[in-house]
Amino acid sequence: MQPKRWFLMFCATAAALVLALMAFNYVTDPFGAFGDRFFQWFSYDETNNPRVAKVSYLQQHHDQYDSYVIGCSSSSSLPTEALNELYDASFYNMIMYGADMADCEKIANYLLDNYQVDNLVLNIEISDGAAYNTESDPLTYGLHYLEDPDLSAFTYYTRYLLANPRYGYAKLQSLETDTILPQSFDVFDEETGTYDKRVRDVEPIGNLETYLAAYSDFTTLDQSGTVGLYQTENCMKSVAAIRDACAAKGVNFVVVTAPIYGAYFNKYQPGSVENFYTQLAQVTPYWDFSCSSLSWEPRYFYDATHFRNCVGEMMVARMAGDDSVWMPDDFGVYVTADNVSDHLAGSLTAQPMDAAENSAQVPILMYHHIVEEDDGSGSVTVDQFRAQMDALLDAGYTTVSLQELADYVNRGGDLPEKPVAITFDDGYASNYELAYPILRERNMKATIFVIGVSVGKDTYKDTDYTMTPHFSYEQAAEMAASGLISIQSHTYDMHQWAPYESGDQVRENILPLAGESETDYVAALTEDFTTSRDLLEAATGEPVTALAFPTGLYTTLTSAVLRDLGVEVTLSTNPGINTVVRGLPQSLCAMLRIGVDRETTVDALLASLQP
Amino acid sequence: MAFTSWEFLLLTAGAAVVYYLLHRHTQWPVLLAASLIFYAAGGLGAMVWLFAIAAVTWGGGLVLQRMNDARKALPKGDKAGQQRIKRRKKAVVAVTAVLCFGLVYVMKYWNTTVALFPAAVERVLPRWDFLMPLGLSFFTFQSVGYVIDVYRSKYAAQRNPAKYLLFVSFFPQMVQGPIGRYDALAPQLLAQRSVDWRMVDRGIQLAMWGYFKKMVIADRAAVVVNTVIGENCPYGGAVIFVGILAYSVQLYCDFSGGIDITRGVAQIFGIDMAENFLRPIFATSLADYWRRWHVSLGHWMRDYLFYPLSLSKPFAKLGKWGRRHLGGLPGKILATSAATFVVYLVIGIWHGVNFRYFVYGIWNGSLITISMLMEHRFLAWKQALHINDKSRGYHFFTITRTWLIVLFGRYIGSSPRLLVALSLMATTILHPVPSQLWDGTLLQLGITGTDWAIIGLGTAVVLAVETFQERGGKVRETLERQNGFVQWLAIAVPLIVILLLGVFRAGYISSSFIYGQY
Repeated sequence: MQPKRWFLMFCATAAALVLALMAFNYVTDPFGAFGDRFFQWFSYDETNNPRVAKVSYLQQHHDQYDSYVIGCSSSSSLPTEALNELYDASFYNMIMYGADMADCEKIANYLLDNYQVDNLVLNIEISDGAAYNTESDPLTYGLHYLEDPDLSAFTYYTRYLLANPRYGYAKLQSLETDTILPQSFDVFDEETGTYDKRVRDVEPIGNLETYLAAYSDFTTLDQSGTVGLYQTENCMKSVAAIRDACAAKGVNFVVVTAPIYGAYFNKYQPGSVENFYTQLAQVTPYWDFSCSSLSWEPRYFYDATHFRNCVGEMMVARMAGDDSVWMPDDFGVYVTADNVSDHLAGSLTAQPMDAAENSAQVPILMYHHIVEEDDGSGSVTVDQFRAQMDALLDAGYTTVSLQELADYVNRGGDLPEKPVAITFDDGYASNYELAYPILRERNMKATIFVIGVSVGKDTYKDTDYTMTPHFSYEQAAEMAASGLISIQSHTYDMHQWAPYESGDQVRENILPLAGESETDYVAALTEDFTTSRDLLEAATGEPVTALAFPTGLYTTLTSAVLRDLGVEVTLSTNPGINTVVRGLPQSLCAMLRIGVDRETTVDALLASLQP
Repeated sequence: MAFTSWEFLLLTAGAAVVYYLLHRHTQWPVLLAASLIFYAAGGLGAMVWLFAIAAVTWGGGLVLQRMNDARKALPKGDKAGQQRIKRRKKAVVAVTAVLCFGLVYVMKYWNTTVALFPAAVERVLPRWDFLMPLGLSFFTFQSVGYVIDVYRSKYAAQRNPAKYLLFVSFFPQMVQGPIGRYDALAPQLLAQRSVDWRMVDRGIQLAMWGYFKKMVIADRAAVVVNTVIGENCPYGGAVIFVGILAYSVQLYCDFSGGIDITRGVAQIFGIDMAENFLRPIFATSLADYWRRWHVSLGHWMRDYLFYPLSLSKPFAKLGKWGRRHLGGLPGKILATSAATFVVYLVIGIWHGVNFRYFVYGIWNGSLITISMLMEHRFLAWKQALHINDKSRGYHFFTITRTWLIVLFGRYIGSSPRLLVALSLMATTILHPVPSQLWDGTLLQLGITGTDWAIIGLGTAVVLAVETFQERGGKVRETLERQNGFVQWLAIAVPLIVILLLGVFRAGYISSSFIYGQY
């Protein structure tokens, strides 16, 4: 072959490959740099690069929003829904991991220049004083060229057209393993722009030690006191620039400082933190949530710099002056140049909340069928039950409903000194005939979890197989009317008994069936629970907000779906004492229960209630 | 501007097109412009140092040239005048070298030196916080070599500062050499030429080979090295040894791959640069290894350090002393061996200011001295054992032996501190834990099984090609004799492999890394 021909062949091949690479990157668009025309999977693209993908998303959807949150990832849990209500607006959260104020200024300008903006909420974190305009990997941290006057369209397009094809390939692979709940590759919620925290929001949380053991981040923090906030001045210049740009356009400009885990501050040089907040107050008044007694409770945080969604609800409630949401008194102060020094003196030395004030130890007992005489089945006898109830009273326990636990956690309600909850699974007639009279006599509360399909039956559904009789809706209504018994859900028909079922797939519990798609499962679970709830609520007139998992099994998706359906309390069959924490709905997830059977003596029962 | 960036490819392609379009005119300014663009992309601040070195050595060259001319003009027999000029010339070389190497020293080692002082002194001493300019030691060695050559009247000094700047800053060699010689390089850089397609093709092929070694093999192996080798290494000796092997593969493929890209790009412009690696895998002794590894540095050291040292008065005295007092072989080699030690110490320190490099220098110097001392004894042993040193088995033995010695040195080269190197060596021998080789530990080192397969296959390809070359085979000539389809495959397959399997410089950051636990 002639050398010149070889050269032309090389050029043609190389050009074809480069074109193929560009086409591949354009089609897969793993960074959302070209608007993700083919997949429209922005939650994935934003995970790769939120700065770029969010602008692409807004180009297509900006007409749905009129207000924005900007800031680093700690802005994520500012709830857009609550903000919408507070400002009568439609918020989109522009958070970007690792954003500093140089980024924020560019983004604010982009939004103000291109879209209708009524409100701009800027979240400032103390680390904004440490890093400003830092260089990092342009693919994942670079801005969209529309946001960044320093970036040419040519550089931008070559950057993403010629990116490593592995990014696009990973996106295609992830497409196959995508699930309803977020995974590490799709952590954003496209519509609100926030991190999708549905998994962490249904994680069962109990005592502090277990939480710290699971999330070591809180105990391994840098507390050297050596990190300087040398960029404070630059940071404040950008904040002032955003403030002025908003004022020029008549945009409502709101600054918040997100809550941070208290020990996180210890890495900064003494005095630099005060200086940072003082300078901020000179630039603009702001809602300070960064440090308060809440900052010292790790369970309110996903990690040291990311507060939980439930804390976000508290923030907006404070800004709205809404008292119905529980929060510590010192949480959230509107800081101005006048009160900043007084405020900082208090907030930066805030003490942890009193554990006895904001949390409670609650044992939950689990009963099933009650029998008159010992029948060898292991069921608790009526005499045994009576003795146990008397022993509880004698030991100073007060029975509480699950609703009271939910009120304590979510709405600032109170609990008695030694609370205990009594629960019955399945809805046996014996609960009505034998247990209810004993409870009523003693004015004790209990919760019964009813299998919807079995209500009022003594034969297995659609068969002649006899089974232990279950009480009727009328009886349920009668018990509920007493104000002592709460009737809640044990699913409608997700607690099937395999030997009596004719179909090839049996739902023995609330878990998905083998081979069942997530969509089908969510539909089945939703259908089942709403049926159960509708029937129970129709019969008793009381809301159904609790569910005991049949056989105690569940998945994260189960919890997430139930939470969306308004279930506040779920119960497992794992043994132990619960720690319920004010303001922390996760302490009501998959609660622990102490099983009681024929073998359980009074002494053993009382012993098991000790934390 | 990294070799593995699109910008570099664009710069090369653009410069080549302009270069050959101008084939009826002066072409070298194109190369100079491309070189300055390349260097400026790394930061304008760094250019100051490039210009400084170029200016000092250019000026030094000119002054020496004038002295050379003056010396020629002297009447014959004016010994005093000759001596006077010689002394002055020496002074000029000394000043130039001190200025140049002084800058390298200050850039690389000043802050480390300051830290050696007690805290009270350290606080008073100023720090040198300029960013190390790209390729500083390479272009400094190259420029000082030029000054010494002019001193030796090997060739005339370059009067045109722009032409000289091109010699110092020619962009393909700015990252890691090779250290070029003015008389070999400058005429090629300044020549006027029209396009030689065969040369261009060869250049592209060589560069592709370099990219393959660097991006497909070296950057992958680097992940393993970074995981395994370091303080508090948690792995057993077998895994550590795998890490050291990976380091050797990484070092060779990265360095020789980079040099291949450099030489390939130069060839696209019709410029032939000296080879820097002569298949060191096949070295039969440590001395042979150093003749094959980083050849341009070795030659530089030989021509500008080893010979001058060996021929200098103190070393001549040392040689005489050795022959008189030690006698025999040791006396004969004393001066040579001392010079060898100095060279390896300088090479060691050139790598970085750290005690381990000092030891690394001693290690190499000692082994080479010992092998010189023992040479006749080895011969005697071989005869006694009836070993045929022409046999394949023996050849293989010498290669393996060299590799073991080199690998031992790699422990020092790869570790952050000498103590770490020693502890890694100790673990390799005392706690091998071979079960870690198959219990999945290898898959926990940052790369997947596929990556291991790619490293393995890639290394096998490199070995196969180098074996072929070592036996005198010519890869590209052989390929050129194949039919069109095979030749096309030889283009398409490497390109696809590099594009799909290359670990890009910017890296591939899986999103799960960012969200480790949040």
